[in-house]
Amino acid sequence: MGRPVFELEDAGVRFGDTEALAGVSVSVESGERVAVIGPSGAGKSSLIRLLNGTLVPDSGRVRVLGEDLAGASARKLRGVQRRLGTIHQQFDLVDQLRVVHNVNAGRLAEWPLWRAAASLASPRETATARQALARVGIADKLYERTATLSGGEQQRVAIARVLVQRPAAILADEPIASLDPARGLEIVRLLCEVSRELGTTLLASLHDVEVALASFHRIVGLREGGVVFDCAPARVSPDAIEALYSIEREGGLA
Amino acid sequence: MTPADTRAEPRGGLPEISLREASRARAAGRSLGRRTWGSVAVLAVAAATVASVAGSEALVNHAGLPQFGSFFEAALSPRLDPSFLVLTAEATATTLAYAVLGTALSLAIGLVGGILASETWWRSGSRGQRRRSRARLAGWAGARAALVMPRGVHEVIWGLFLLSVIGTEPVVAVLAIGIPFGAITAKVFSEILDETARGPYTALLASGARRPAAVAYGLVPPALSDLISYGYYRFECAIRSAAILGLIGAAGLGFQLDLSFAATDYEEMWTFLLALIVLSGAADAWSSVVRGRRSAPRGPAAQAIRAGRAARSAAAARGERSPRRDRVLVASVAVALALVPLSWSWLGLDLSELWSRETWAQLGQVVVDSWPPQLPEGGLGELARLSLVTLAMSVLAMAVAFAGGLALAFPAANLERLGGRGRGTRARRAFRLALAIATRAVLLFLRAIPPPVWALLVLFLFFPGILPGALALGVYTLGVLGRLMAEAAENLDERPLRALRAQGASSAQVFLYGVLPAAFPRFVAFALYRWEVTIRETVVVGVVGAGGLGLLLQRQLASFDYGGVVATVAALILLTLVVDLVSAAMRRSLR
Repeated sequence: MGRPVFELEDAGVRFGDTEALAGVSVSVESGERVAVIGPSGAGKSSLIRLLNGTLVPDSGRVRVLGEDLAGASARKLRGVQRRLGTIHQQFDLVDQLRVVHNVNAGRLAEWPLWRAAASLASPRETATARQALARVGIADKLYERTATLSGGEQQRVAIARVLVQRPAAILADEPIASLDPARGLEIVRLLCEVSRELGTTLLASLHDVEVALASFHRIVGLREGGVVFDCAPARVSPDAIEALYSIEREGGLA
Repeated sequence: MTPADTRAEPRGGLPEISLREASRARAAGRSLGRRTWGSVAVLAVAAATVASVAGSEALVNHAGLPQFGSFFEAALSPRLDPSFLVLTAEATATTLAYAVLGTALSLAIGLVGGILASETWWRSGSRGQRRRSRARLAGWAGARAALVMPRGVHEVIWGLFLLSVIGTEPVVAVLAIGIPFGAITAKVFSEILDETARGPYTALLASGARRPAAVAYGLVPPALSDLISYGYYRFECAIRSAAILGLIGAAGLGFQLDLSFAATDYEEMWTFLLALIVLSGAADAWSSVVRGRRSAPRGPAAQAIRAGRAARSAAAARGERSPRRDRVLVASVAVALALVPLSWSWLGLDLSELWSRETWAQLGQVVVDSWPPQLPEGGLGELARLSLVTLAMSVLAMAVAFAGGLALAFPAANLERLGGRGRGTRARRAFRLALAIATRAVLLFLRAIPPPVWALLVLFLFFPGILPGALALGVYTLGVLGRLMAEAAENLDERPLRALRAQGASSAQVFLYGVLPAAFPRFVAFALYRWEVTIRETVVVGVVGAGGLGLLLQRQLASFDYGGVVATVAALILLTLVVDLVSAAMRRSLR
């Protein structure tokens, strides 16, 4: 395997008095599928946001696709971001737009402004968008208003958006936390298939331990802003999971 | 509503299919409605434009241009000698005092009226006897109906009416603000109360509490912060109304403005206007802070909240209690409460005037004089024509305000944080900040100057008619609407924007694909809501001569033609009801 796609070195993030991440070092090789698990507030979302450049570390280094993001200029950052596809827990689509525009949003980094503006009036590259929607199983929704879609369908639109973007790596921040278990499993399977077909790296944060163990090459356990374990699913013991999610009792409360 | 609410996926196959089908049918119906209403709006603006230009030979009054110019020239040299500044300060205090007491009265009316007009009050409890439930329905409908008349009549008409009954007493301005604002507040409060979760309230009723106690313990506390934030919004409006009431004879900044205008002393006018801008700006800022604190926990300031939540849950795990009272909010309420007695003594308010024999005799006389209602010269046709003129004025004013708001809202909004943190060069950020501050200053200036003053200025340039009235109302409404729109743009859900940014979209693209589509429906909703206010305000510019029903009303009041006043006010109320219905239907099609 070649150069790491994602590389965190002793990275730390603070929000006011709260330490979201501290001394985190993780490295992900090209083509790997990695799941980040851990309890609420462990810092999973912050980790993803560090890697897609929407959050700047307060300490340590973040290297993505060979670029140091902390020191990158706006232009360089955009260059890295256009090669990253991110999928979010709340899907983060623009509700008021038709599906085709939300899918085409994956092309915005490539498009000049005039084309982006023109496409809002009369959609461009609809064949590509329709193909991507067909791949995720909702080709008939091309011209629907996004807000009228169900949660599972919206997450499929988000995956289609990543498909037209053709990224080098996909980041997924709790992609199934807003879905029921059956639909969640479908979405994770779809994500893994898509990343295998495109040959891209996939890094996903997940609540659901079973799903993570079943579908990924590697599991990173995160707790209170630090890495607890980082190994293949087969080597993650039930005790380690228990310890990861255990509720700590401090200060008097029994 | 949080996104989780709207997007929650129903479990199981069957209900999902039916729900989705229903939502698809709804979406189809909605898009048809939108298109229809959109065409109606465009046609209405076109018709109003034609009406404003057609029919009169001369629109522009070239003779007035020098005066218009010298008014703005005087902005550079406002009168600032100490004795005059003392007078200005006193007038400012008077205007503030009217606003404070008017707001206090409107909140008192609003709380009682709001509870009585809420469905929760009338429809809850045991549903046993038919007769009782019918009586309850009648009570609810009665309370709602009682609020229509005071709401449909503008503060200035209340002021003119009360002036003729009570005479020039400070209590006139307080009542003129408090009565219509109270009715509006009652309507809004009733809606807030009906939207509040009824669980605690019905639980209290079920455990045998009386209705007033159940309301006080179960309904008002959860709604309280919404009620307070609405109260502050009312105060902000009351400042502007207090200034306008000065123009019809109540003391304060408006009155002084009128005197200086009559003496064509524009330097003095600018001193008063600057005082009004400062007062209005301070009230807006205070209200913004209070309302911002209210909406923060719901808003999309995701980072801070997420961090805060993590901190809170950590604190909770350690067994600490997080501080629950917001100090700024508590202090704001305390200051507001302290202002009430201060204002009372500053104005030397004397309620005995309300119970004096002359007042009641005068009221009786006015009632006798106003029956039967008298149609104006030209009969029903003339009244209908003037109603259409007034309607055209409001539509044109909204077109001006909406177009201007669309242009100014985004520069005025602090959109820097949308989609990325701390990116962009320092010079560029400084430029954006300077632009935002300058645009906000312009908007503040536009809304701080009362519409009648704008009308007086516009009437330098245009002959009376639809156009000057629409322009005066339009620029004033632009000031109000532009700020609302900028706030709405700032409060957009940040997450879709961040998602676009994370894919490498440029700022302009994030704006096109994320900000504009999400903000536009809200802008239209605000504009429609503001249209309901503007149709009432046409009276204010009419009173100084811009035309329409307002001008007719002013003439009738000046000649003590109370029968005519009743007919004109009835036409106005009918017009506002129609506008309210159309606006509500249009806003529904947006949802």
